[in-house]
Amino acid sequence: MSILDIRNLTIELETENGPVRVLDRFNLQLAEGEIHTLVGESGSGKSLLAKAILGFINPRWKITADRLWWRHYDLLALNNAQRRIVTGRDMAMIFQDPSTYLDPNDKVGAQLRETIPVGDLTGIYLKRRADRQTRAERLLHRVGIKDTKEVMESYPHELSEGLAQKISIAMAIAHNPKLLIADEPTTAMEPNTRSQIYRLLAKLSGGQGMSILMITQDLTAVVPESQHISLIYCGQLMESGPTEQVMQSPLHPYTEAMLSMSLFSQNKAPQTRLPTLSGAIPTLQHMPIGCRLGPRCPYARSACVVKPELARKQQQDYSCHYPLWEDPEHD
Amino acid sequence: MIRYTLRRLTLLIVTLWLLTVFLFSLNYFFPGDALTNMTGIRASDTLAYQQAFAARDFDASIFSQYLNFLGHFTQGDWGQSLTNQRNVFGELLPLLGGTLELALLAMIFAMALGAPMGVYAAGQQRGSMDRLIMGISLSAYSIPVFWLAQLLILLFAVKLGWTPISGQINPLFDVEVNSGSIILDILVSDNPYKTAALLDAINHLWLPVIVLAIMPATMLMRTTRNSMLEVLQQNYIRAARARGLSESRILLRHVLPNTMQPVVRQLGLMFSVLMSNIIVTEVIFNWPGLGSWLVKSIYERDYPVMQGGLFAFATLILLVNVCVELFHAWRYPQVRKELYAER
Repeated sequence: MSILDIRNLTIELETENGPVRVLDRFNLQLAEGEIHTLVGESGSGKSLLAKAILGFINPRWKITADRLWWRHYDLLALNNAQRRIVTGRDMAMIFQDPSTYLDPNDKVGAQLRETIPVGDLTGIYLKRRADRQTRAERLLHRVGIKDTKEVMESYPHELSEGLAQKISIAMAIAHNPKLLIADEPTTAMEPNTRSQIYRLLAKLSGGQGMSILMITQDLTAVVPESQHISLIYCGQLMESGPTEQVMQSPLHPYTEAMLSMSLFSQNKAPQTRLPTLSGAIPTLQHMPIGCRLGPRCPYARSACVVKPELARKQQQDYSCHYPLWEDPEHD
Repeated sequence: MIRYTLRRLTLLIVTLWLLTVFLFSLNYFFPGDALTNMTGIRASDTLAYQQAFAARDFDASIFSQYLNFLGHFTQGDWGQSLTNQRNVFGELLPLLGGTLELALLAMIFAMALGAPMGVYAAGQQRGSMDRLIMGISLSAYSIPVFWLAQLLILLFAVKLGWTPISGQINPLFDVEVNSGSIILDILVSDNPYKTAALLDAINHLWLPVIVLAIMPATMLMRTTRNSMLEVLQQNYIRAARARGLSESRILLRHVLPNTMQPVVRQLGLMFSVLMSNIIVTEVIFNWPGLGSWLVKSIYERDYPVMQGGLFAFATLILLVNVCVELFHAWRYPQVRKELYAER
């Protein structure tokens, strides 16, 4: 049973040249305690999706959906205040460049302490303060920081990006959210730190039944713990399904292209050109009609000017007129 | 922080030392006899002149002359005035008090007026109040202080008669000069009319303070507003909102401290502007302070006094700047790191 259920979510931005669809009938289901990875290039609308879920909505956006349900709340039916209560209680988000999300002139400990919900504390003044402190320390332990005293006495500029991200995670889980949205949490980090952060997120999800929506740019960053994966291109869902299955036998040409573009894919002769899709990501004002991958897709035909409906084959959803298994002519 | 403090203090000492070299060389560049320029003793006073000639090592090389000068200078022997034969250093201290009194009150008034207005304007960004405040601050910033002082005197002292035209206090009160700060002097004196004297002093004081405070206040307003608008855009403020912290807590704990960071840094610069304005203001209001003293010495070609005044002003500005920088680095620790590129 999915706790987050998004059906045909469409976001349109008002621009000078008329409305632009930045998210086109997008679907996403997220089960409790599951890690779902959303892969998309920059400008594909993935961060916008996160904002739409969290309710950081610009009044100029037009949001329509058949369903935008969080647990038993219809998020679109709630007004802003109600929505902030629901999302503030149940959801949290971490970002890239974590150190910019910390006040540079305040000690880390103080910032961590103030995120602890007042309702969780017991006792009166002095005892309350002590309780706050122990809770803050426990949060740091949970994200794998042993040296709590030194970290809490530090200022953000004295921490590495990896450490700052761990502290962001600690702040995010302070009120035990049910959903954590991680928007490219490890950009510009060393591989070692990167895997530490991913392991930490996987552990948190497994241990407390917290769902994680992991947003990333490339398929190499998909963690083994991620059960589901969705690929988004220019605001359209390309393919979605169980991670293993999608990686092994992609149905959508975009998935195939992304996999072959990956530096770690096999069968590559040394010193040859890496495969890429021809063309470039279209600008917002010049989105192709129909399947937006059309102009760059190696298998595109005339039918592709109509947007394909979402089809399903063995738990794998894809949105393509000519999926890779149907046509033996594909090489 | 200790390393930073030591660095700043070293810089201060080196700058002060260079200043003494400059002052020493001035004695030779000024017209007239170098020894007279330095000590204020004229050659016509043959006996004293010969004594000074020997005491100041004027028969030795210029280098020993400088060392000798430095020795006298650091002991507070800054020579005597050419016009009234008074000891320059002894003259200077009470005048310093008068200037500091004006400067500090003006700074405090400017901060109390400028920073809240800037914060308010930032809160009303692009609203009519924001435009009004920024418009007023720009026009007030553009008014030269000598003109503003005359205008305000014309309005408040001449037309409305609320305040005396110039001076520090009505001479009838006969307050003994100790520190030079009129308020302190009244408070420590055993004058039977203390309260009346205090009221009269304040009545003399508020107009020059306002004249002086206006320019720093407008600078503060603009800096505070722009800095706050920038801080409000920062990720950590949005993240704090997203975490559900109360608006008042975000404002007091995160927005304001970060807003004040560039503002504090500007205080030193503002003090320098204030110091140049204070010279003009003191002359206009006939205020017994360093500024009017310095200007008078220039008119009278009183070289020992000129040197003393220059040194006092330069030292004051340097000291205030170092103090502001030290406070800035103490309160905003990441500044220290930037300084050494230790990131």
